[in-house]
Amino acid sequence: MNTERGQVLAAVHEMVAARSAGASVSATWPHPDTLHFLIDKKLLRSVADGLFNQLQARFLISVGTDNRTLGGDFGILHVFSLDREKLYILLESRAPADDPRVDSITGVVPGADWAEREFQDAVGVHPEGHPDPRRLLLPDDWPEGVYPLRRDFPYNFRPPLAEKGRPEMRATPVGASVLPMGPFFPVLEEPAYFRLLVEGETIVGCDTRLFYNHRGIEKLGDSVLTYNEIPFLAERICGICGFIHSACYCQAVEKAADIEVPRRARYIRTIMLELERIHSHLLWLGIAGHIIGFDTVLMQTWRIREPVMWLCEAISGNRKTYGMNTIGGLRRDLPNDMRPQLLKTLADVEKEAIAVRDAIIGDGVLRARTETVGVLTMESVRSVCVVGPPARASGVAIDARIDHPYAAYDEIPPRIVTQEGCDIWARVVVRVGELMESIRLVREALSALPEGPICAEIRDEIPPGKAAVSVVEAPRGEAIHYVMTGGDNRPYRWRVRAPSYANLQALPAAVAHGTIADVPITLGSLDPCFSCTERLETIDRRTNAVRIYRRSELMEMSRGKGVRGGAR
Amino acid sequence: MIHGFVIALLCLLNVGIALLLSPLYEGILRKMKAALHSRIGPPVTQPYWDLLKLLGKEDLRSVGGAAYASLPPLALGSVLLLATMTPMGGAAPLSFAGDMIVLLYVAAMGAVLIMLCGFASGSPYAYVGSSREMMMALSVEPTLAIALCVGAFKAKSLALYSMTAFQASNGPSISMAIAGLAFFLALQAQAGKLPFDIAEADQEIMGGPLVEQSGPRLALLRWTMWTRQLVLAFLLVEVFLPWPHFGALAFDLPASGIKVLAVLLLVGLVDVVNPRLRIDQAMGYFARLALSGLSALAFAVIGK
Repeated sequence: MNTERGQVLAAVHEMVAARSAGASVSATWPHPDTLHFLIDKKLLRSVADGLFNQLQARFLISVGTDNRTLGGDFGILHVFSLDREKLYILLESRAPADDPRVDSITGVVPGADWAEREFQDAVGVHPEGHPDPRRLLLPDDWPEGVYPLRRDFPYNFRPPLAEKGRPEMRATPVGASVLPMGPFFPVLEEPAYFRLLVEGETIVGCDTRLFYNHRGIEKLGDSVLTYNEIPFLAERICGICGFIHSACYCQAVEKAADIEVPRRARYIRTIMLELERIHSHLLWLGIAGHIIGFDTVLMQTWRIREPVMWLCEAISGNRKTYGMNTIGGLRRDLPNDMRPQLLKTLADVEKEAIAVRDAIIGDGVLRARTETVGVLTMESVRSVCVVGPPARASGVAIDARIDHPYAAYDEIPPRIVTQEGCDIWARVVVRVGELMESIRLVREALSALPEGPICAEIRDEIPPGKAAVSVVEAPRGEAIHYVMTGGDNRPYRWRVRAPSYANLQALPAAVAHGTIADVPITLGSLDPCFSCTERLETIDRRTNAVRIYRRSELMEMSRGKGVRGGAR
Repeated sequence: MIHGFVIALLCLLNVGIALLLSPLYEGILRKMKAALHSRIGPPVTQPYWDLLKLLGKEDLRSVGGAAYASLPPLALGSVLLLATMTPMGGAAPLSFAGDMIVLLYVAAMGAVLIMLCGFASGSPYAYVGSSREMMMALSVEPTLAIALCVGAFKAKSLALYSMTAFQASNGPSISMAIAGLAFFLALQAQAGKLPFDIAEADQEIMGGPLVEQSGPRLALLRWTMWTRQLVLAFLLVEVFLPWPHFGALAFDLPASGIKVLAVLLLVGLVDVVNPRLRIDQAMGYFARLALSGLSALAFAVIGK
């Protein structure tokens, strides 16, 4: 441990001690990169304030857990990251079962807004003093007092049908009129409701109602599926970055259970993750073009993207849902004889991507539409905890591949692309730069690809009661998976945070004072992925019995999604 | 009497060309767009099928009222009136001294009627679209007027046929070239093509004034837009690019038809290589364009 890290750690301990004023605080190191504090719930706000505002830690996510079946209370865990020190700081508090309340930290950590509302909805722990405690993710007609992530809630429970569910929206100020964007709207691939308050063409306010797409993935993970079945479901969290979620989940379990992943598997994971970034950024460029009417960009980037999808299909048998990840490594090797094909496709994609990049960079009208539009200042990026390209386009150099290295990124570190423009144009430039960088990374990983096994041999049961946080830099930003292991061959709690969850919270700030014409492209510039963000709530309508989702059924489920066309 | 009959026939000719040719040209534009997108694209006859299908559909209305129902046919009618005042291969059937002024008003009618459609349909998107349409019309009309005024100044006449005749016999000039370019860019906006398809902007306001239109009414409005782009392209070709001028309808009409296609393909090309501007950017653009149109007038004054 170097001295700088030691100093920061000393500062953390000092701050916690100062703010807890003699109350008992237990500090433990569950993993070498994870410092866990168990503190009184009355201290939560003050310590979070110290971490976030004094020590400049970044807020990642909150996890609410129903520990009552373990003989405990409700656990509320706030996850922070000290990026430079490559450290996770976990703040945990217990809320008694008969009085499920904790102090809200949203007042001091604005980025915790949704996270706290989510555990309020799902676990039923009320964040006291939350500035906006409206319902976040449960349907509007969901009965009061029914909390789906509590252990006594059966995963296949069906609430009675209610007819009159309406979202609770903020009042419209005098003089403004409402322009609804959604729940169904041309540029929204999935349902989401953005209620724009406009005066003429100018936006004076924005209220959102999201989470129309809950699928109950977390609930299935801790009640129905087993450890090695979850990667298949995790892969279906997102229609684009499936490998990212399955890899992130597997890493969390591997970390919790101390499983060493073979080096070759880590390299192949890197290759697949970067291939996903390549096709995702090309997809995004096309969609961004389409949003501002530039369909030529859409058609050309998607044409360029297609060979990458074929490549993924050649490697894994599927364009998108690769089914490669498993706890301890991979289920499928990357054959060495595919290397020439990979390199050739990469060369072709690179050549055409450069042509597209030059066309885009030189387009004056495109710049006119995107410069100084959708501005997110460095301060708002920090306070709302924006991640990924929107953060890097505002000069905040965070990237999970560097901050918390995983897979093979410690051996082949990426060069982080940042911009200072804070606007949509900067986000375009960042993503185009990352596209090129990903091509380089795949090449590097291929040339350094070691031989060896692709999966660790796991002889023992995964021990219960271990927890770990894992992050993966998805194309849209940092995806976070938290896993707490359970006793019945499945996690006790599995928490997923997709990057869009953080970035969508910045939308009101980004569209403020813009015009109606700027809203779609501003939303697009955050590259929101709604199905990723909304993964919580589903009900099995078929049976009351416990149901194991088998491979054929999962395939059927994924095909059903394909038919619906919601491929994002 | 016979004279009246001939005029009626010529009117029918222009109306027929405008109505029947406009979907074909739109189809060719779509085909070109597809080619530049690396797509195959629909067959060139697709716009005819689109119209046929829409005309056969149920007429669903978001609001009642005679005004709402009668606006689409009126809009198409206004564009057909414009067609009879536009020279197509020869002098316009309805030509008279000062017809240029009347033509400008008739040309504005189509936009106003589509705008009213939007305002009458009671949707917030249509409302935003219609106000954008109004702002676009207000910024584009001066450019159209200035461009035609240059022609009028050169020919010392407010009649379109004398402008055509003057340009045909005197050959190109700097002032007419600038005015023609300005007219072309105004045509881009009038045709609702990128970067100026702001009033419809599918991704922002779901088609603007058209959002609540369906079936036969949508067919008529689409037809109105395709016809308007064709007729205005004819106007551009006849006033600013009348060469070669054979003096016989049988030769001049096909020649104009080909030139119009070339102009519209250029419009389509600009459409393919541009994203959409914001309304304030487009208004600023046309304000500058109108100013440069004035320089054409200055050139015309010094006889260039």
